[in-house]
Amino acid sequence: MHPRAGASLSRRRFLALSAAGGATGAAALSGCAMRVSSGVSGVGETVTVMAKADDFSPELIRQARKDLGVKIVTVRYDITKLIGMMTNGAPPDLVRGVGATDAPYFAARDVMEDLDPYFARSDVLRAGDLDPVNDLWRYDGRTQGKGPRYGMAKDFSQDSMFWYNTALFDEAGVGHPPETEPVTYEEWLEDARRLTRRRNGQTTVFGGSYQGVLTPNLLASLTASAGGNLFTDDFSRIDFTTPEARKALAWYVEYGRSRVGPSIVQPDPNAWDGPTYQAGRMAMSNSGYWLGGLINTDKKLAPLSRLAPAPLFAGGRRVSPCQAGTGFWMPKKAKNKDAAWRVFEWFFGEGPARARASGGWGIPTLKSLRPLMPAREDYQKRVLKVQNAELRHFSVIAFTPYASADSLYALFNQEAPAAMNGHMSVDTLAGRLNSVMNEQLKRGKEQVG
Amino acid sequence: MTVDQISVTGRTGAPDSIARRAPAGRPRISMTGRRHRAFYLFTAPWIIGFLLLTVVPMAYALWLSFTTYDGISPHWRYVGLGNYTELFSDPQTWNSLGRTGLFAITSVPLSIVAGLGLAVLVNRPIRARGLFRTLLYLPAVVPPVGAGLTFKALFDQNSGAANGVLTLFGFDALGWLADPYARYVLLMSVLWAAGNVMIISLAGLQDVPRELHEAARIDGAGAWRTFRSITVPLLSPVLLFQTVTGVIASVQTIMPLLLTPDGTTAGVTALPQSNYLYMMHVFSQYFALGRYGYASALLWVLFVLILIATGLIFRFTSGVVFYNVDPEAKK
Repeated sequence: MHPRAGASLSRRRFLALSAAGGATGAAALSGCAMRVSSGVSGVGETVTVMAKADDFSPELIRQARKDLGVKIVTVRYDITKLIGMMTNGAPPDLVRGVGATDAPYFAARDVMEDLDPYFARSDVLRAGDLDPVNDLWRYDGRTQGKGPRYGMAKDFSQDSMFWYNTALFDEAGVGHPPETEPVTYEEWLEDARRLTRRRNGQTTVFGGSYQGVLTPNLLASLTASAGGNLFTDDFSRIDFTTPEARKALAWYVEYGRSRVGPSIVQPDPNAWDGPTYQAGRMAMSNSGYWLGGLINTDKKLAPLSRLAPAPLFAGGRRVSPCQAGTGFWMPKKAKNKDAAWRVFEWFFGEGPARARASGGWGIPTLKSLRPLMPAREDYQKRVLKVQNAELRHFSVIAFTPYASADSLYALFNQEAPAAMNGHMSVDTLAGRLNSVMNEQLKRGKEQVG
Repeated sequence: MTVDQISVTGRTGAPDSIARRAPAGRPRISMTGRRHRAFYLFTAPWIIGFLLLTVVPMAYALWLSFTTYDGISPHWRYVGLGNYTELFSDPQTWNSLGRTGLFAITSVPLSIVAGLGLAVLVNRPIRARGLFRTLLYLPAVVPPVGAGLTFKALFDQNSGAANGVLTLFGFDALGWLADPYARYVLLMSVLWAAGNVMIISLAGLQDVPRELHEAARIDGAGAWRTFRSITVPLLSPVLLFQTVTGVIASVQTIMPLLLTPDGTTAGVTALPQSNYLYMMHVFSQYFALGRYGYASALLWVLFVLILIATGLIFRFTSGVVFYNVDPEAKK
């Protein structure tokens, strides 16, 4: 599971410390040869950034002042606050967002600044150096992945991959998954069942967690892996009754029913996999490369951990998308666009980007930063080998612009528990999801115009 | 100065002399006028706050309830009563309203009985009474977010203390934070804050004249009879107050949101169905689904329902609430 706002305080603190370490690295690296932005400076200006605490640590803000002469004021990321600020005509200059879902949603509502002219002028963020994952931030008015760029990812992972703890596999007598060949989802679930340990109604070891970043993205990815599409070609409707989508939905419902890992019907109090996996109480965690940032800091856990390719459905196709691509975008009504762009360039292409790349908290979004990915230890080299092989299967799975991922997630949360608790069939659930989600998409289409 | 002086002259001597020194042509302000001015000056901060922070937002929400506004999209439109008609045909509205009603009629009496019971206990002349009062009231001052975190830790299926106790005695662990047990955790979170009720009931108990209890004892009444026939009637205004505020608080509770592990906007909608109360539906419509218009309609309906519920409570309790004052005395 990917980091979320509601994660535990200890995790926040952990990430904040990581960010502080990153900032220190950035400071050290700032002395290295650096390409200099050709277009804008923004010196002396103030840039308001809506972000999470671990995006812009106090150290990083001080570093920005030193490197750029720009004062950064952060506002805690909150979608309701963002809407309030935009309604009042005073949006932040940069806003955190999830490229996979926010880009088409906000771009379709014409509130994002087209950044193509800025990219064209930049010597730091050159088109040829941008990783394809940044295409998640493109939208041509109809399809995600094409057209102008509205933002950029700060790092990324292929979020259908999973990590596993070899010691727990060995204890349960379950064979390790192949290194570069995917297992099927059916095999993954069977392994998870065999790895799960229970005592007195309590789960002492979760066989595996498979929840994606947000459930709608996960279901879209699962459907793609089964060989289909969750949305219709014009993204105005969703269909869970196609054979591929139904297969994906049935698998996810079965995952919930089997109680092999956290789900809506068996919530994890930590709200993410990190602490449970680190405690040796989770054999497989559906997290991409980014979880290595946590694993690498644990010298006992790191040698036991392996990264595995994204599974696929029997008879399906091999896809390994990024379900997030979290980064920043600039509102159309931002007040200090030039200064914001300078911060944008610095954050995505200079010291902070290098620090993130070497920290292992995700794959860098500039190809030129790839050599900085951690590969000193044997286990890091092994992980990197799997990750590099997986990149060949990367693809952008376009999301609908007519509904936010949050809204579809909320509707799923309202309908799915009955099926996961065995009170509703998958076919009934598919029909109900079609009904409520298509109603939401219809409303969104009307409002986008 | 006496009341008579004021009533005869209409003002005191001092203001009179000031009035004499006032420049010619400046209108003289009567005592009534000054009183009115003072009244409005002193109440102005509240009135301004009430207008700006209550009336204006409510009017704005009322206007929103007639639109499809989602906070961001450019093409919202006016739908008249459309949101209200949809609301009455939305099964989630009815289901959540039913659960909320059930929650109110369960949690309010429970918390009143628990709070009153505690108040009676700590009103007795026991050793370290002050300490017990403080300890029992402490949970009520813990912020709800802290209480939510504590409850999540206590009732976690795999590592919580509640299941630790159950397994210690050979029982299987329960999924407290999921259906069907989540509703009991919610009720326990209400009882956790019973200190609020206790402190108000305690104040009421201390206001009950001791001589009435003594007279009852002389007449041969036992403790229960004295409590039922003297204490409860004299506490009835306090109990009415707690019923009304308790009902309002229970229908507005956000505690279920605080008991969800995923605190994101959409994540908090991953609630067990038994805890999907009316305000959860409102929250989900506002912030997860972005339906500002529809959610505003839901809130307005809730406002009307609260008014009706409060009116009904007053109506049905008018015969049993005993006010220890003469209602005619102020006339």
